[in-house]
Amino acid sequence: MRIIYHLIVLYLTGHLVWYLFREKKFWKQASIVLVLVLFLLRLFLIE
Amino acid sequence: MRGQQVTTSAALLALTLVVGFFSGREFLSMRTQDAIFPSPGLTAKKMLSDYFPALRNTPGDTEVFIFAGAAKGGNLLILGGTHPNEPAGTMTAILLTETIRTAKGKVVVVPWANASGFTHSDPQEGSPQRFFIETPGGRRWFRLGSRVTNPVHQWPDPTLYVNPMGQKLAGIEARNLNRAYPGKPDGYLTEKVAFGMMELIRKEAIELGIDLHESAPEYPVINAIVFHENAADLAATAQIELQAEGFDFRLEASPPNLRGLSHREWGDAAQIKAILLETPNASHGRLKGRPTISLVVDGKDKYYERASRLGRLFVPYGPEGIPLRQRIARHLAGIRAILSSLKELQPAEAVEIENVPSATDVQAKGIGAFLHPSLK
Repeated sequence: MRIIYHLIVLYLTGHLVWYLFREKKFWKQASIVLVLVLFLLRLFLIE
Repeated sequence: MRGQQVTTSAALLALTLVVGFFSGREFLSMRTQDAIFPSPGLTAKKMLSDYFPALRNTPGDTEVFIFAGAAKGGNLLILGGTHPNEPAGTMTAILLTETIRTAKGKVVVVPWANASGFTHSDPQEGSPQRFFIETPGGRRWFRLGSRVTNPVHQWPDPTLYVNPMGQKLAGIEARNLNRAYPGKPDGYLTEKVAFGMMELIRKEAIELGIDLHESAPEYPVINAIVFHENAADLAATAQIELQAEGFDFRLEASPPNLRGLSHREWGDAAQIKAILLETPNASHGRLKGRPTISLVVDGKDKYYERASRLGRLFVPYGPEGIPLRQRIARHLAGIRAILSSLKELQPAEAVEIENVPSATDVQAKGIGAFLHPSLK
């Protein structure tokens, strides 16, 4: 189960990074990184 | 334009990694065990898993400190940290571990009874992760944990929790050590910890158990000695002694139909004298203002002060608050009075402890004057 959960979080994290680099407006990019921090913590710290 | 967009994205991504690194490190630091420096009176140090091996290498395993005296007497268990958000219980157990020597009988101290509960904080409470006590050697930090086991270690909660004695409770109570007695060897982690405590009681031939707690000032069971009927005479005699010393403790009989609590199941399942002590702690009450380190240690809160003026509390709560040193002093006074009463009522089971800081001294000088000053 844990590996599936990790894969889901990794997939969503990848999407966020992808949108970060595609987004043109700075404040939208800033909003993306706010969410990205939480996904990274979840990706690396989940047990 | 495209180059600038990539640069901004890369910079923001780098910032994300930095923020993630520091917040992750802060989060993981909650799992670091506080330092403890046992007194020279320590005769053995064990783990709870030595009594119940299924706990070995699990987050439920915890340290057990044994102080055996030269003279034969009774065997006493003191539990702190059953609820890790009730710091007076934990700190009293730590203070005893760092100071005492047993002259007669045996004292077993477990400062972090629910070790898993110390590895996280109550969600949505904004509680400080740690609080500090000033000692002559510098500042010592201690974890303020959650009332219940970490959900990372025991998940998911059932919708309805039926504890080992068949009592139906809210699902979250499946992670409450003081609803899980007498435990189950193959149950939830919290039930295994409770079972481990029962094994400790059995194998160490404990005769008297004292579970140290705190309660919110608006909760009626407060400044109280909660006793199993096995310990009724002991609790009553102790209360008289405490009143003579100026400590107001109320007596609360353990309700026979409230199952899974230490003061009920230690008495029923292990036939020991079971007592639970409660002091008032604003930092885990519902009426508190901002939950700060100062609230935990100094115990001052203007909202509790107002609630007291409105007659909504079960303890007096003035502008001076109810500081941690006063709550620890109450626990120490309670333990001393219980042991004094035990000596009077059942001399063969007497336990004599030396070097215990007096309640008056702790109130006057603070707990830091008696804790080990070393920093780690």
